Amino acid sequence: MPKGYLAIVLHAHLPYVRHPEHDDFLEEDWLFEAITETYIPLIKVLEGFLRDGVDYKLTISLSPTLMSMLMDGHLQGKYLGHINKLIELSEKEIERTKWDERFNKLAHMYHDNFIEARHIFKDVYHSNLVNAFKHFQDAGGLEVITCSATHGFLPLMEVERRIAVRAQVKVAADMYEKIFGKRPPGIWLPECGYNPGDDEILKKEGIKYFFVDTHGVLFGTPRPRFGVFSPYLTKHGVAVFGRDTESSKAVWSAVEGYPGDYNYREFYRDIGFDLDYEYIRPYINSDGTRVMTGIKYHRITGVTNHKEPYVPEYARDTAANQAGNFMFNREKQIEHLAGQMGDRKPIIVAPYDAELFGHWWYEGPQWIDFLVRKIRYDQDTVALTTPGEYLKKYKKYQVLTPSFSSWGWKGYCEVWLEGSNDWLYRHLHKMTERMVELASTHKRAKGLLLRALNQMARELLLAQSSDWAFIMKTGSHVTYAVERMREHTENFNELYEDVKNGSLEEGYIKAMEDKGNIFPDIDYSIYSS
Amino acid sequence: MALQRPGLRDRKAFRFPPGYGDNKIVLLVRDPWWIFAYWEVRKEKEDEILCKISDSGDERERSILRVYDVTGVNFNGHNANSYFDIDLKGLVSNWYINVNSPGRSWVVDIGILTKRGSFYLLARSNTVHTPPFGMSDQLDAEWMIPEDEYWKLFGLSGGFGVGKGSLEVREIVTKRLEEQITSGAISSSASFYRKPAAKKFWLVVNAELIVYGATEPDAKLTVQGREIALKPDGTFSLRFALPDGKQVIPVEATSNDGSDRLKITPIVTRKTE
Repeated sequence: MPKGYLAIVLHAHLPYVRHPEHDDFLEEDWLFEAITETYIPLIKVLEGFLRDGVDYKLTISLSPTLMSMLMDGHLQGKYLGHINKLIELSEKEIERTKWDERFNKLAHMYHDNFIEARHIFKDVYHSNLVNAFKHFQDAGGLEVITCSATHGFLPLMEVERRIAVRAQVKVAADMYEKIFGKRPPGIWLPECGYNPGDDEILKKEGIKYFFVDTHGVLFGTPRPRFGVFSPYLTKHGVAVFGRDTESSKAVWSAVEGYPGDYNYREFYRDIGFDLDYEYIRPYINSDGTRVMTGIKYHRITGVTNHKEPYVPEYARDTAANQAGNFMFNREKQIEHLAGQMGDRKPIIVAPYDAELFGHWWYEGPQWIDFLVRKIRYDQDTVALTTPGEYLKKYKKYQVLTPSFSSWGWKGYCEVWLEGSNDWLYRHLHKMTERMVELASTHKRAKGLLLRALNQMARELLLAQSSDWAFIMKTGSHVTYAVERMREHTENFNELYEDVKNGSLEEGYIKAMEDKGNIFPDIDYSIYSS
Repeated sequence: MALQRPGLRDRKAFRFPPGYGDNKIVLLVRDPWWIFAYWEVRKEKEDEILCKISDSGDERERSILRVYDVTGVNFNGHNANSYFDIDLKGLVSNWYINVNSPGRSWVVDIGILTKRGSFYLLARSNTVHTPPFGMSDQLDAEWMIPEDEYWKLFGLSGGFGVGKGSLEVREIVTKRLEEQITSGAISSSASFYRKPAAKKFWLVVNAELIVYGATEPDAKLTVQGREIALKPDGTFSLRFALPDGKQVIPVEATSNDGSDRLKITPIVTRKTE
């Protein structure tokens, strides 16, 4: 019997970016890169567990915007175009690097990976990777949870809070149910943003658990009996798990984190920037801007501009060693907790952004593969679990009101509320207010009015994505984020005026429906007071 | 509304409105120490208040935010625990307010202060609560453990060991929250673990070799023993990364009927100093 448990939680999210009006759109690459570098490599790792009969437990949250993109025919078609181009480029690379074995081996590696990615995407899952995650959940092992509809940062939804938060949660839970055939067992609150009272909304939507950052539990009321090593129940009976600091740091920390190992692949040296312009021109952005291709030939090497060629065997050894180190430290942690936990066994909750694995940290999926297998076969102190499974172990949990918190820099709202982005909330709040106004005055709308109100709900949700504020703060792709905010605000307010003036135009609504086509089943009445 | 064609309106015309004709002030919590206020005051409302002020024989001194601590109070405008004022200058419409007190409740009025010291309200905010910062003093009888065990679990949860006092712990937690141990990064160009370059100035030099030529379009061509497909006009062009060392590159063409054979062998040496 294990003495304690480890729950690894991966949060997969990308904002809704879909531009059928362009053949090639820079920000759509976020999805394509994540498919090739993160989602498919993770799927390969999970397939390996099934194939080898490895008993594993992992949790993944799939944001509704990400799932919507993965299920969208237009983007699926574009991804195939994208991977085909990468395959073509890697073929050229095999030729070009013929005289240098160090790089030639890598060109072959990429070529094989791209061919396999296309096969998994197209042939195995019929271009819809949501099927993959459903498959692993149905087979046991993977617990899939949801996130709020568009990754709206809930603590800053101060105006009409109850309705605004409920809409984000309900749209997400309904979409999950349609795909997975049941209510989501848990939710990843965007950026772990928690505002006391939001638990009541989660409860009403049938959600059993959520996560907060470490201090969300530690600063909770009353004083928590088990630190972050046990879930608690909120006043409304939803379980809350707190993030463990040690296991987070091991991966995330800029100083001590695993992904910075010198044997690992260097993210910033990409042939999209390194190679001769004329040669690489067909494979970068269509406007001629150099972008990353995903083909990278160097390892981090050290704190130096000089980079040595990447050696997959070295990187693999490092990933294996680090997985062993991570497991060892969790064993120590659990042994340390023995005698502190009264009648129960501790749980260590280790959440990470899914896109860290593979996209940023190329060897991340390999590290998970090693870690899961080592935990299963090399020791007995710690066992993997999922939050849903752990909650079945005990009947009673301490009741706690977690503190207002997030997992962002400095632990609260400063990332999403500062000089670059604080102007957003005036507009977002007004839109929410107007949505509630119209939804409450037009019950049971039909025809064009129904379509307009439903589209307003979509535009509002899309505007609420925390990604826009985040991008404004970090400073890259800012023009795009502002433009998106502008588009949704304009669409929303134009429709608002049209509804008020009775001047709705079918063609105008249709154009918006075609562009902002997320959540086809949305029902605006979620905003009625 | 004029439409150029169905479904499109002139996008350039759209500007975020500076206001929505409201008379209100809204508070958001940024963290345990800071709240954020944004507001909009209707011109008529301000004029009405200015009239009232002058009717009472008083005069406008300045616009202010009045920040009330309303912790544990059902606030009616007069029963706050305490308040402080912030002078507003120019055309500001938002403000970060340093309340500097975790675990308290706040309401903010925007209004006009007169020469005689009277305060006239323009708009009153929602109530917000700054979160507590530190371990709760409230104990749960059902889940009690000795004091030092709370601290031990607290330390283990925060990854800073055991036996730290509450002041020290606050400092450690504050520091820990400032370490960025989340990314939220969504795109290739957002920087993540390391800044790309150790030193700003840098130089990279690589060499590539283009081997090109032409023969009869229906001939068979090999380069370094490997068959190369010719373009319809009989030309070919190959591109190789050229590492240091010597490359012997035999190019051999054989005519379609196999009767003619030609071979040319460039030899290239690269040496980097």
